[in-house]
Amino acid sequence: MNGEIVELINVAHDVAWLPWGVQYFFLIGLSYAAFFLTLPAFVFRRREWDGLAHVALVVALSCGIVAPIALVADLHQPSRFYNFYLHVTPASWMSWGSFFLPVYVLCLMAYAWLIYRPGLAAQAGGRSGMMARIARVLALGGRAAPLAVRLVGLATAIAALLVALYTGVEMAVVATRALWHSPFMPLLFITTAFAGAAGLSLLLGRLLGAEASTDARLARVVAACSGLTLWLAAAWLLAGRFGWSVSGAVALRLASEYHPLLFTLLWLGVGTLVPLLLARRLPLLAGALALAGSWWLRWSMFIDGQRIPKTGAGFFPYELPPGAEGMAGLVGTLGLWVLLLLAITSFLPWRGDPPRIGR
Amino acid sequence: MDKTKRNFLKGAAAAVLGPTSVGPAGWASAGERPRGSDSNRWAMVVDLRKCIGCQACTVACGMENAVPLGKFRTIVSNYEVELQDQVRSVVLPRLCNHCENPPCVPVCPVGATYQRNDGIVVVDNERCVGCGYCVQACPYDARFINPETQAADKCTFCVHRVEAGLLPACVETCVGGARIFGDLKDPDSTVSRLVAELPTKGLRPEMKTRPQVYYVGLDERFQSKVEGEPTLWRKEAIHGEFAQ
Repeated sequence: MNGEIVELINVAHDVAWLPWGVQYFFLIGLSYAAFFLTLPAFVFRRREWDGLAHVALVVALSCGIVAPIALVADLHQPSRFYNFYLHVTPASWMSWGSFFLPVYVLCLMAYAWLIYRPGLAAQAGGRSGMMARIARVLALGGRAAPLAVRLVGLATAIAALLVALYTGVEMAVVATRALWHSPFMPLLFITTAFAGAAGLSLLLGRLLGAEASTDARLARVVAACSGLTLWLAAAWLLAGRFGWSVSGAVALRLASEYHPLLFTLLWLGVGTLVPLLLARRLPLLAGALALAGSWWLRWSMFIDGQRIPKTGAGFFPYELPPGAEGMAGLVGTLGLWVLLLLAITSFLPWRGDPPRIGR
Repeated sequence: MDKTKRNFLKGAAAAVLGPTSVGPAGWASAGERPRGSDSNRWAMVVDLRKCIGCQACTVACGMENAVPLGKFRTIVSNYEVELQDQVRSVVLPRLCNHCENPPCVPVCPVGATYQRNDGIVVVDNERCVGCGYCVQACPYDARFINPETQAADKCTFCVHRVEAGLLPACVETCVGGARIFGDLKDPDSTVSRLVAELPTKGLRPEMKTRPQVYYVGLDERFQSKVEGEPTLWRKEAIHGEFAQ
C-alpha cells in the first residue's frame, strides 16, 4: 500500500454477479465433473466403476438441473432470458454458453433416461397404480440400449466439455478483472469441480447406501484433483510473485492482503490441502472438505474478485444480503437441490439395472 | 390506416404507456435504434487544472438522468497526496470513457449495449437481461446495475441533450469550466483544439480501449488503478466507528 496517496472520495460498487452466480458455477461444475465420472462404467463398460457411476449420475443429474435455474436467477431481468435466443451475439462467450448449457442438460437427461429405462420397466413390473403406470410409460419398453447410451454419452461428453470450457473462459477473457484474466482460471475450475463432484458422490454414496467399494475409488479422485489444484495454485501464485502473471500477482494480494482467511486458509488449506492429506484415512471428511473447497474457490473468485476496484484504492466492502440478492440465493438453490435429490432417489431406479447392481 | 390515425394511435399509446425507460441510458427495443451521425465523434476533455472537486457535475448528472440514490454515472474522486513534505488535494472526475474500442460491447450476450456512429456507447435497457457481464468488462468501474430498471446503466454523454443541441448536464454545470464537450471530427471545436494543443492522457492506457475522455494535467499515479490508502472502505468507516 502506498502511504503517500489517501483516497478520500470514491464509490464502492456493488457486485453485479450475485451469489446465485456462485451457485451456478458450483453446481454446473459438480454436474459435468460427476457426469465424466459415469463414463467409464456406462460408455466404456468398465464394470468396476458401476457403483460409483450410479451415484455420480445422481449428482450430475440433480446438480445439472438446478444449475440453470440458479443462472437465470442471477440475471437481474430473468424474465428476459429469451433475448439470449432472439439476439445471438457470437462475440460473447456468455451467448455461446446460452446454447451449450441447455444442450448439455438435455443430453444429460437423455443419457440418464437411457440408463434408467430397464430399471423403470422393472419398477413397473406387472404392478398397477399411478407410479407403476408412469414408470411403464417412461420406460418405453425398457429394453437396455447400450449403443444409444454410448452415443448419447459421447454427445453429452462433448456438451460437457463445452460447458467446462465456456464457464472458465467466460471469466478468463475479462481483461479488466486482472484476477480472472488468466489461463489458470478455467483449469482451477475444472480440477476443483472434479474434487467437489467426487467428494459429493462420496457423501451421497454413504448416505444412500451405495456399494462400499466406490469409496476408495472416489477418495483417489479427491486426492488426485486436490493435488493437481495445489500444483496449479502454486504455479499461479509463483507466476504472480515473479512478475510473469498479473492475475497471479492479484491472487497473491487476495491470498495475503485482501482476504487471506477465505483464499489461503479456507480454500487452499481446509478445502484443498486437508482433503489431499486425509483422502486415504478419512475419505468422507476429505470428500466433504473438497466439496466445500470447490465452493470456496468460486465464492472467492466471484465475490472477492468483484470487490477489487479497477480504478480506485482498497477493497470494496461486501456483506451477504439476507434477501434474493444474497442468502436467499444460497438457501434457495440448496433447497431445490435437496428436493430434486429426494425425487430422483425416491422415484427413479438410480441404483441401475437390478440384476446387474445387485439390489 | 391513414397516417393521421396511425400517429394519433402512436401518441395515445405513448400517453398510456409513458416513457419507455427510466433513464435516458435506455432506448425502446421496438423499431430502429438511434445510431447518431457518423459525421460526429463526441468526446470530452477534462482540464484538471480547473476542477475544484465541488461535485456539481455529480449532482447535475444524478438530477438530469434520474440516477438512483447511491449510484453514480459520474463522480469526482478525491485524493490526498504527499508531495515534497506538502499535502496536496487531487481531484479526478470519472465517467464512461465512450472508448473507441469499448470492451463492454462485445461481451454483451444480447447486443443490448452498443456503440452509435457518433461514438457514444449506450444501453438498450429494455433488451438488457441484467447479466452484469458489461459491468465486469468495463475497465473504469463506470457501469452498474440500476436498481430501478434492473438493467445495466452508465453515462451516455447525456445523448438526449446532445441530440437536442445542448451540452451534457455535467458540462453545463461545471463551475470551473473543467469539463469541455464537443465533436472531434470538427477541427475547429474546442475539444479538437485542446486535444491538438495540450498534452492529454487517458485512463488505463494498458487496456488499449482508446478512451475518448481526455485529461489535462493528470498525474501518472492516477492513470491506472490507484495504489493508495483507502479511508472509506475500512470496516471501521462502514460501521460508523471511524474516528475523525
